[in-house]
Amino acid sequence: MTSEYKKPLPRPTINPEVSQPFWEGTKKHELWLQYCLNHNGHFFYPREVCPVCLAPQERLVWQQVPAKGRVHSYTTVYQPALPAFAEEAPFIHALIELDAGARIVGNVVGLSREEVEGNALELNQPVEAVFEDVTDEWTLVKWQRVDG
Amino acid sequence: MSLRGAAAIIGIAELPTQRATPGRSSLGLMGDAARIAVHDAHLRKEDIDGLITEGGTVYPGLVSEYLGLRPRFASGASMMGASGATATTLAAMAVQNGLANNVLVVIGSARNNAIPEAGAGPTGIATELDATVGTAAGAGTGYAMMYKKHMELYGTTQEQLAHVAANQRFNTLENPNSAFQGQPISVEDVMASRYVNYPLRLLECVMPCGGAAAIVVTSADRAKASHNKPVYILGSGVGTDPQTAWQRPVITETPVARSAPIAFEMSGYTPRDIQFAEFYDCYTILVSMCLEDSGLVQKGEIGPFFASTDTTYKGAFPINTDGGQLSSGQPNLAGGFRHVVEGARQIMGRAETRQVARNDLCLVNG
Ligand SMILES: [Zn+2]
Repeated sequence: MTSEYKKPLPRPTINPEVSQPFWEGTKKHELWLQYCLNHNGHFFYPREVCPVCLAPQERLVWQQVPAKGRVHSYTTVYQPALPAFAEEAPFIHALIELDAGARIVGNVVGLSREEVEGNALELNQPVEAVFEDVTDEWTLVKWQRVDG
Repeated sequence: MSLRGAAAIIGIAELPTQRATPGRSSLGLMGDAARIAVHDAHLRKEDIDGLITEGGTVYPGLVSEYLGLRPRFASGASMMGASGATATTLAAMAVQNGLANNVLVVIGSARNNAIPEAGAGPTGIATELDATVGTAAGAGTGYAMMYKKHMELYGTTQEQLAHVAANQRFNTLENPNSAFQGQPISVEDVMASRYVNYPLRLLECVMPCGGAAAIVVTSADRAKASHNKPVYILGSGVGTDPQTAWQRPVITETPVARSAPIAFEMSGYTPRDIQFAEFYDCYTILVSMCLEDSGLVQKGEIGPFFASTDTTYKGAFPINTDGGQLSSGQPNLAGGFRHVVEGARQIMGRAETRQVARNDLCLVNG
């Protein structure tokens, strides 16, 4: 599995340290988000300043949160922008509203081809994280349906 | 003091939108558009003392250098697709406040095979995650998720929005600057086209192209002596939202909800007064949501509106009378600028076979 993963890996390009705890979390099969001690809320993606209240980095901590949420919306990708995903199409690209109160994008897996093409996934569907160790260094988080 | 009536567009230029522009540079295309616009305004190059460009990809200083201009006011308006409309607003502010007399706004993008498509690589922290889930900047997945949410919240159907593409294609059939001139499509054709990102079908998405456009903006006083019928800017608002679609707090809402009320209040008019509209249209769903947020159509009612309203240039409420970007092609950063140019062209009465009947008051969303 390790050297054969051909699709893009997370490659931080602005400041790798900022999002490192998120990826350390996925490696442990856990979901970690930044939490702002000033306004008392989670947010995503990782930043050096709170996008809600502009609190500085010193007021931002990392917390493990339940790896659960609901499908806020989704699209079924038939023509991927990235060639590496061509063989997988059609696949589901969703916006997940986490129970912890932030949103994250991810693939919803575990649907049959018929379900994918028939748009069987419904909005507000409860989902939970599935952690996929794609290389020795990187673990990606995907999502699967659970009973509400 | 407000912008109302302080400045006017007196010259326009638009190069044909083309799938590829071999042998041409963005600067070269901008040069052609600039020459045509200055000539159209019946000015000399020496009369241009202000310059506004997109600025984020090619700095104003380089455009100025390439064109041999010596502006006393210059700026960029780096607002991606909204750069042209934003630059038009800045130009009006500049002439109103005496920073310049005649401002040239010029935006152009070459498109050659060597240029990589959008989404070639990660550019920020959001895309760090995006790339791993199979999307990229400009991929349309964000707009597709907005579409799906709009369907869920308001009962909007894909067939209703197929009218957007079909009507705009009708408008572009005789447009010599369009990449789709003479190629009609029906609602059925749109519905039969393949999915790119469900619910978005191929004919609901723009085709990336190259092209350029330019306008000349002058003060209301100077505009009185204009060769062309002056196109007065009566009000403007400039909003923005998170660049990454999924970072928007309400994904079925656009920044037009904030910019349009300012433009209307400044102008003294209401949505009911507007006779035709030129609206940014990278996807059917985006132009639809912007029309709602502008107040021209009630929120959530855009589906029934398109199903029941003739929005061609001959219709009850014309929208994107030149075909817009969906049906003429998207000349990259000049894409949103085309809506400013077409609005001005219609008000000047120079839209020829696609001229709208009532052409006094247009709402433009770049
Ligand atoms: Zn905060």
